[in-house]
This record gives sequence, C-alpha cells and structure tokens, in this order.
Amino acid sequence: MFSITCQNYRGLKMETNWILFYVTTICLIINPITADIINKNVERNLDIASQLVKTSYKIQVEETAGKPLKEYEFIVREPNLSFISVKDGFNKKLAFEEKKENEKSQVKYKITFASSAPQQTLLIETVSTKNILPYPSEIKQNDKQLVKYVGGLYLYSNYLTQSQRINIQLSSSNIIAHTQFRPFSVMSNKMTFGPYENIAKLTDDELFVHYENQSPFLTVNTLERTIEVSHWGNIAVKEEIQMTHTGAKLKGSFSRYDFQKDGRSGQSAVKSYKTYLPASATGVYYRDTNGNISTSNMNLMRESVDLDLRPRFPLFGGWKTQYVLGYNVPSYEYLYSSDNDYILKMHLIDHIHDNMCIDEAVITIILPEGSSNIKLETPYGIKRHQNALIHTYLDTVGRPVVSFSQRNLVENHIAEFTLKYNFSKVSLLQEPLLVIAFIYIIFLLTIVFLRLDFSITSHFHKE
Amino acid sequence: MNRGSKILNSKVAGYSSLITFAVLLIAWIAGFSSRLFAVIRFESIIHEFDPWFNYRATAYMVQHGWYKFLNWFDERAWYPLGRIVGGTVYPGLMITSGGIHYVLHILNIPVHIRDICVFLAPVFSGLTSISTYLLTKELWSPGAGLFAASFIAIVPGYISRSVAGSYDNEGIAIFALQFTYFLWVRSIKTGSVFWSAGAAISYFYMVSAWGGYVFIINLIPLHVFVLLIMGRYSPRLLTSYSTFYILGLLFSMQIPFVGFQPIRTSEHMAAMGVFVLLMAVATLRHLQTVLSRNEFKKLFIVGGLLAAVVVFVAVVVLTMMGVVAPWSGRFYSLWDTGYAKIHIPIIASVSEHQPTTWFSFFFDLHILVCAFPVGLWYCVKQVNDERVFVILYAISAVYFAGVMVRLMLTLTPVVCMLAGVAFSGLLDVFLQEDSSKRLANTVNSVQEIDDQEESLERKSLYDKAGKLRHRTKHDSTHENGISSNLKSIVILAVLMILMMFAVHCTWVTSNAYSSPSIVLAFHNSQDGSRNILDDFREAYYWLSQNTADDARIMSWWDYGYQIAGMANRTTLVDNNTWNNSHIALVGKAMSSTEEKSYEIMTSLDVDYVLVIFGGVIGYSGDDINKFLWMVRIAEGEHPKDIKESDFFTDRGEFRVDAEGAPALLNCLMYKLSYYRFGELKLDYRGPSGYDRTRNAVIGNKDFELTYLEEAYTTEHWLVRIYRVKKPFEFNRPSLKAKDRLIPPTNFISRKNLKRRKGLIRNRPIVVKGKRTLK
Repeated sequence: MFSITCQNYRGLKMETNWILFYVTTICLIINPITADIINKNVERNLDIASQLVKTSYKIQVEETAGKPLKEYEFIVREPNLSFISVKDGFNKKLAFEEKKENEKSQVKYKITFASSAPQQTLLIETVSTKNILPYPSEIKQNDKQLVKYVGGLYLYSNYLTQSQRINIQLSSSNIIAHTQFRPFSVMSNKMTFGPYENIAKLTDDELFVHYENQSPFLTVNTLERTIEVSHWGNIAVKEEIQMTHTGAKLKGSFSRYDFQKDGRSGQSAVKSYKTYLPASATGVYYRDTNGNISTSNMNLMRESVDLDLRPRFPLFGGWKTQYVLGYNVPSYEYLYSSDNDYILKMHLIDHIHDNMCIDEAVITIILPEGSSNIKLETPYGIKRHQNALIHTYLDTVGRPVVSFSQRNLVENHIAEFTLKYNFSKVSLLQEPLLVIAFIYIIFLLTIVFLRLDFSITSHFHKE
Repeated sequence: MNRGSKILNSKVAGYSSLITFAVLLIAWIAGFSSRLFAVIRFESIIHEFDPWFNYRATAYMVQHGWYKFLNWFDERAWYPLGRIVGGTVYPGLMITSGGIHYVLHILNIPVHIRDICVFLAPVFSGLTSISTYLLTKELWSPGAGLFAASFIAIVPGYISRSVAGSYDNEGIAIFALQFTYFLWVRSIKTGSVFWSAGAAISYFYMVSAWGGYVFIINLIPLHVFVLLIMGRYSPRLLTSYSTFYILGLLFSMQIPFVGFQPIRTSEHMAAMGVFVLLMAVATLRHLQTVLSRNEFKKLFIVGGLLAAVVVFVAVVVLTMMGVVAPWSGRFYSLWDTGYAKIHIPIIASVSEHQPTTWFSFFFDLHILVCAFPVGLWYCVKQVNDERVFVILYAISAVYFAGVMVRLMLTLTPVVCMLAGVAFSGLLDVFLQEDSSKRLANTVNSVQEIDDQEESLERKSLYDKAGKLRHRTKHDSTHENGISSNLKSIVILAVLMILMMFAVHCTWVTSNAYSSPSIVLAFHNSQDGSRNILDDFREAYYWLSQNTADDARIMSWWDYGYQIAGMANRTTLVDNNTWNNSHIALVGKAMSSTEEKSYEIMTSLDVDYVLVIFGGVIGYSGDDINKFLWMVRIAEGEHPKDIKESDFFTDRGEFRVDAEGAPALLNCLMYKLSYYRFGELKLDYRGPSGYDRTRNAVIGNKDFELTYLEEAYTTEHWLVRIYRVKKPFEFNRPSLKAKDRLIPPTNFISRKNLKRRKGLIRNRPIVVKGKRTLK
C-alpha cells in the first residue's frame, strides 16, 4: 500500500494526467507524509569536439525521506536525440521507456531501477546530432570554421538539484564567446560551469559556446546497405552512401593553388576519412557511377580492415558526394545453422567514419532462394518494410528480401540484428543442376540439329 | 576398299572439323583476352569520347525503351538547340547491346549495361574472326581461312578500335562488313536468292551500325561492274545483285538516320547505276539468244554505251536539279586530302582524319603488310568471280587507308585475308610432305581455276586428302624437288615470323591501344610504382555532384560527350559536330578577351566553363595545344572578329611565353588555363609559372578574372572549371566617359553651402568610455 502511494505521489509530479492527479489526491489524504526525490549531485560531461553532441550524466538521486526508490524520470531537451543509454552505479544497464510528449524537442524517459534503495546513482549517455551549427554559416576557403552550440545550462529535471556541474570538451582552445554565468573556468579546450547549488525543478537557462571546430562535419544523407547471403560460404555487403559536408558552406571560389600551397587553407574540408570494415573482409571495392575511385588505401589490421577513403575531390562545406563500398565476408563468421534452421547475426549498420551521423539508413537482406519462416530481431526500433522477391543469377522463383529502415543513427547504433530462417540444404543443389541441365540440352540440340537436313531441295553446290 | 575409304573419310572430316572448331575457338579466346589489357590494368570502364555517347544512349534506351529512344530529343546537348538523337544515330550498336541486356535479364542475369557495353567489342571480335574465316574459305581455302581468322583476332589495326571499353560503332561494324561480304561472295558463287537475301539482311545490320556501310554499297556494285567489263556476266550475278540491291535499298531506308539518302545522294548513285546497267546487260543477253550475231554485236555496243551515258547524264542532271545531293564534304576529303584543311577545319582538326604514315601501316599490320601483296598476287594469278571481289576490296581499302588513319580499319580485314592466303600458299608448298591433319584443311587449291571444278573438288576434298596419304611416299621422293632441309628451314622461318607477329601484336595492343584515355597512368621512374591520374573523372564527378542539375557547361567540343556521360550536365557543343557555327561560337568565346566572351557566354546562358590544362603534368593533348583549331574554326564563321594571324608572333610562331602575341596572352582560353599558374612553382629551382607541356615560362602571369571565378581545379590541374558570374555579382569595370552610350547629364546637386552636410536623425551621441545614449 505504501509503495503504491508513493508511486502515485510521484505521478503527480510527472505529468498533468488528471486521472492520476485524482488518485494521488486521494492518496495524499490517506498518507500525508511528504516524501521528496532530489538530485543530490549532477555531473555532466559535454563533448562537443566533433559534429555530435555527446553528453554523459552522472546523477546521484536521493529520496529525502529515506524510502526505497524504484523509478526516476529523465527529461532530454535536445532536438535530434539519436541515442540514449542508461546504467546504474554498478554499470548495469537499466530499463527505460520513452513517454510521448507534445513538445517536439522534449523527450521524457521513465527509468526503472534494478533494485529499490533510497540512494541511487544513474549513468546516462546521450548522443544528439545537428545541434552544433556553423556560425557564420558561410566561410571562404582560407577561413576557419566557427560553430555555435546552444544547450541547457542546468539539468532540466523534475526534481530539485542540489549541486550540479558541466564539463565541456571543445575541439580547440579558440573560443570566441560563451555564456558568462559564474562560477565557470576555461582551461585551453576545456570549460567547466558550476557548481550551481539548489536549482529548483524545471529550471532552464541557456548555455552557448561559440568556438572553432575544424573536425569533419560529414552527414551521411542516405545509406543503403545490402547484405546478400549465399550458402556457398559468402556474404556480400554493399553500402551505397550519399554524404554531404554540413559544416560552414564554401563562399566564393575554390583555389587549388591555395589549397596545395597553404596547409591551413581549407582545414574544414574533408580530404579523407577512415572506414573500418570487419577483419575478414575481402574483395573490397570503392566506386561510383563513373567507375573505380582510385584514391584510397587499405590496411589490414588484426581487428579490422582499415580503409582510408579519399573522395574524388576534397569535400568543402555544402559539397556532396556519392559512392558504393562493398566487400565480402565469409559466412561462417555470421551464419549459424542447426539442421535446416539458420541464424544470421550481423551488424545492422557499420562504421563509415568517426563520429558519423546517418540521416537515413535502409538495410536490405537478401536471403538464398527457398528460405522461409523469416523472423527478424533488432537491437532497437526500426521501420520494417514489406518483404519482396528479387531475381538474380540462376533464380527461378526469386530470393526473399527483408528490408527495414531507420533515421538518425550514430556510431552507438552499431549493433547486431538477428535473422532466423529455414532453408533446406537440398535446394542448394538446384542451381548447379540447372546449369548442367542447360548445357546438356544445348549439346543434345546441337547433336540433333547437325543430323537433320533442313533443305527443301537437294543442293548441287552443297558442301 | 570403298568402305575403308569411307571410314577414313569420315575420320578426316571429323579431324578437320575439330581443328577448325579448335582454331576458331582459340582465335576467339585469344582475341577476346588480348583486348582486356585496359580492363585488367584499370577497370571495366568506357574509353575515349564517342563511346561515352554510345553508352549514354544505350543506357537511355535500356531505361526508357526502344520507342522512347527513337523519339529521344536530348535537351542536354547543343544547348540551346538540343539534338534529336533518335534520328541522328546509327542505332545498331545500342540495339545490339540493349538486346543482349534484355535477353540476359530475362534469364535473370543482372549484368549492368555498362559491362555489356565494355565487353561488346571483344566479343564481337570473335564473330569477326569467324566471318573472316568463312569469307576466306569461300575465296581460297579453309586453311587460308583459319590463318585469316587467327590474324584478324589479334591484329592491332582492328584491336585499336575494339579493345574492351572502346564501345564504338566500328566494333560491331567490322563483323557486319565481313559477314556481308561473305554472304555476298556466297551468293555470287551460288546465284541463290537465299544467300543474297542474307547478304541484304546483313547489310541492313551494317547500315544500322556504322556510316561505313557506304563502302559496301559502293564496293559490291564496283565488283559487279568489273565482272561485267571482264565479260563474266552470268545469271547468278543477275540474281544475286538484283536481290541484294533491291532488298538492301529497302532495308537501309528503314534506318531513320539514313532515310531517303540511298536514293538521293551521290554516294549511293553508283549502286543504282550498276543495277540499271546490269538490267541492260541482262536484256541484251536475252536478246542475244533471240537475235543474230551481227545484229547483236551492234546492239551490244550501242546499247551498252547508251545505257552508260543515260545513267551518267541522269545522275548529273538530278544532282544539278538538287534531287540528288552532291558528295558530302567528308567524302570529298577522301579524294582530295587537302580539301578538308581548307574548307572544313572541323574535320581536319580530328587527328584520326589525318593521312596515314608509312610507319603506322607496319605498326598496325606488321608482317601482314608484306605478305598481303603475295596473297593479292595469288588471287590475280588464279582469278575467278569472287577473287575479283577481294582484289577490288584490297585496292580500294589500301587507297582509303592511305587517305585517313581511321580507315586503316577497313583495310585490316582484307590484309588479314590475303596474308592468310599467302601463308597458306606458302605452307602448301613447303608442308606438302607432311601428312599432318592440317593438310586436310589447307588442301591446296592451286590447281583449281574453274568454278565448277572447284566445287566438284571440294566435294571430293576428303577423298583427295585420303589419296594424298597414299601418295606421299612416292611424291616426296621424286616428284618434289625441294629438299626436306630447305622445307624445315622455311617452315621454321615462317613460324618464327608468325611468332614475332603475335609478340608484336600483343606489345602494340598493350602499349598503344589499351589506354582508356580518361584515366592516365604513368610510372614513377624512381621506385617504379604506378601512379594514376584520375583528374578527368574527378572533375566530371565534381560537376555531377556539386552543380545545379540544369547547369550549362561550356567546353571545347572534344569533351562534350564525356561531360554528358559522366557529369550528366548540359553542354553547348559535343563530338557530334553537326552544327559548325555553334562550335565556331564557342571557339570565338574561347579566343576573345574575357569581356567580349562574357557577352557570348551570357547570351548562351553558360554557367560553367571547363578547360583542360596540361601545363602542370606535361599532358600534351590540352586545350592550349588545340587552341589554334578553335581559332581557325571561329575565324571560318566570324572572320571579322577573330583572325588566326593575331595569335602568332611576328615571326609566325605560336608561343605562350612573354614574346607571345598579345591576342593570345589576353584571350579567355589563355586566362582560364593559366589563372594563378604564374604563382605556382613546380620545383624549387625553376621559375614560377613554368609550363611543362610547352616548356616555357608563361608570358602573362599576373592577372585577375573579373567575370569568372575558379569553381574547381583538379588535383593535377588537368581540368579547370570556372563559374561564370551573374551580372550582379561583380563590379563592372568603369567605362570611360566617351564610351558611354548614355552621356552623363548635368546633374545639379540640391545641396548648397549651408546644407552640405547630411544629417541622421536621432543620432546617438558617442562619448568615449561611456555608454551610448539614445
């Protein structure tokens, strides 16, 4: 009874759900002891050195009345939130569920602790995209790229925060301007704001930093990843990528002379980037509609295959490029089978470049002809498309195709999906038999044809 | 005995067909694989310039279907005119690869159309060698046919036009040419409507594939005409030519690009004239059977002459009346090599239209060029109807090959055939003793003169080979005067020569003809590594990704097809060169000053200008080296504004250094090529602005562009792209008072002495060190 009351009481704070409100009011009458949750200490690390905003929170929560704490509400007021993970003090993952909000740039999460205790520690990590904007938005070739980050100075919380602090990691020590709200300190490319004491709940204030950020601002607009499974021992992966430099746009002319002569010219331009492929990747190709892009290097490492990809031209602000990257991996590393049941475990998306940000990814999995009972499990929510059939080499009925898509992905989303299906091993022989039969028929027809005389009359000049 | 010979007979027949099959298969494979140098060294990619258009057109056809392709109006070419593609191409190439693509996709083989286009020419080279085998077999013997097939599979003269990636009309046209000739010779031999109708269908394919079909439609009538003159008229000739001509005429008119040309242009008149003549001769022959000898003789001479005169006069009169178009300029340049240079600079400017050097005959044909007169001599010695054809073919092809480098291609097949005849004849003499299976094929036809005899002999071909086996012991001892040592020496020498031929072919193919030309490779002399210059694709890809979809790009016409194909942007002029004045306008823009060319560029809605500049890496095919042709072509249309002599120094030199002509140093092409190049130092010791292609320090180093700005320059400066500024984007240079169209008026300012100063209301008062007060 008690715990229910408690929950309901917190429910009041959560939202203006009038039914809850009603219940709680009744509960309050029954149980008048006021219990309160506070954020005892909040430590926020904000990493805005790249194009992504990576925040890690360390929140110490306390129930002042000493009652065990089961649930906590966490609010994120960042647009384009791409990834969130919640752990407790023992580095154990905690379950959380998202609550719909009317306000667009605000998402609420209800976190459930693994065990109830009056004092809890939360470790939350979030990654959001497109919150660091170039300012000015257009620069000349020799200018530095300056960006502006605008976020919240305080942890926007439903609870009172006793003490909080933000550590900001920047990409350079060149800071043009920032919020002057004491106490704060600036050390080279690090800034610390706070500690701020006793911030009332739902308090917000703006934090902005205007600084130099020359790290690549590359956005993958579309990623089309095709995984083709062959039971002859090979999995072919093809990634069609379209990317744009979303940093400050290039204003005026591009001068090759300056670009070659002066190392400082065009620093924000992306000349090359690294892509890591699985260590077993072979037959790597990197091409576009005009053919092979000859400017790239491949290094075989123990853990991975490092590709040093150079687009055909350096990518300046606003410039786009498209390419296809493909490779083969042996199927024994990803495909597991028992009898006629198969399980495919592969990365849903893979690394494209460091601190990548993918607007939309479409993943297509082509299974061998004759696969059935296809079941897909993914590590996070996706938008499933309708299954289709595709006809390629030596196909008769077509191969089943599973495809799905997801928007706004970052590196943290590199995780494995699981695809279960049935496939009878006998149908593996179908294609070779088809070829054999075809060639046999050709020979047969030739033999018959050569022994027939198709002429109407007997020719005198026949040879 | 009879039974035994029959078994032997079938055994020999089996061997001979096995050898034929094996040799042709090997020729196909060898021909195919020696064309793959470029694919292996670089990648599966379309080469050069014209293939890019063909590829683009094929891709369009595959995507949109055949009827859309026929009606395709390409608004991305020849801006603002556009081009009716369906009516101005030979669609055979696109239909062929599109058809292959279609069939493969029905069979669920999802090959990309690009790969089909890349490998089409090598695959067709195999078909060419088979049809060459068939043709030579008809003309001489199967052994000579096998030689010819092997020669044509690897001969550089043909490889130069059919390497993988060289997706051009010639690749399939040579097959069509040889196959048409084979069917024609067959029909002459048999006099059968079947074969001549086949020849007409094959001719139809040739017409759809290449403008060189004119060669067929003139050579076959010439053959008929010469046969008539030689008194070799026969009903077979009448049947085959009339069938071929009528069907071929109707078929060829089905191609939209050809249309009514076969009955309206001079190039086709010879065929019609010969047709009429043949009819006249046939009538006379018929009359001969009716009339007495004396009467007929008169009638023959009078009638023949009359017919010839009537035909000639009719052609001349029709030409004068304008019903029949006179010879086109390209055709004139075949007779008069100096014609193009004077009248049509655009034809003369193409390097493949230059006269052939002696060196390139040997380079492209090697030993065949020596063996081919021998084969010709054999044919002349043992002439018959079809050998007349090959003699005429050889003579005309030699002439055309001498006029234009490009027509080396039509010479190559006949050279291979006659060289095959020569080698086969040689081996026949020196390999007689040897009873190897080859002999069965290369069975000598030296004794065969008469047609009928030959066909009879062919019938008993295998019998004869069998008999030969018996006879060999006797023959070698006393009939043949050649000692076996001499024989083996000669055979060894021939084999050596053939081996050297194969080595030469491979070497030429690998070194001269296997460069895609859109990717340049060079070997680093220090560490021997291979570097790739991919500047063309870098620039084209930049255009395709980072310019507006409807951006119009001005460049010299050489790059039109590539821009359309790789960058998918609108071009002003391209390799089609159908509109000389439009090209001249671009040439004028390139050779005028920046200010004047800006007017031209704005009138043509140009957004970007693309120039090729090789000064940094020493690439000799760049725009400055082609510049004089631009000036010449521009001068042809705009003689008032552009003068070629202005671009030479007083001593008549074309130089880009400080002594160069001022018109050159200030023209748009010069400025775009050398913009900011004057600051660039290529090495530490040398002066800045040193042009490696022309080995000179450029004359005009320090200048700025007013109307254009550099949009992109590739890594090795090979392609430079400039954006044409919009009128509001730059400060126009001030006009002097006398140049102004509207003279300055006497404007009197209303400001008098008192009101000289302007005032701002509510101006904030600024006091140093204090906040501003409103």
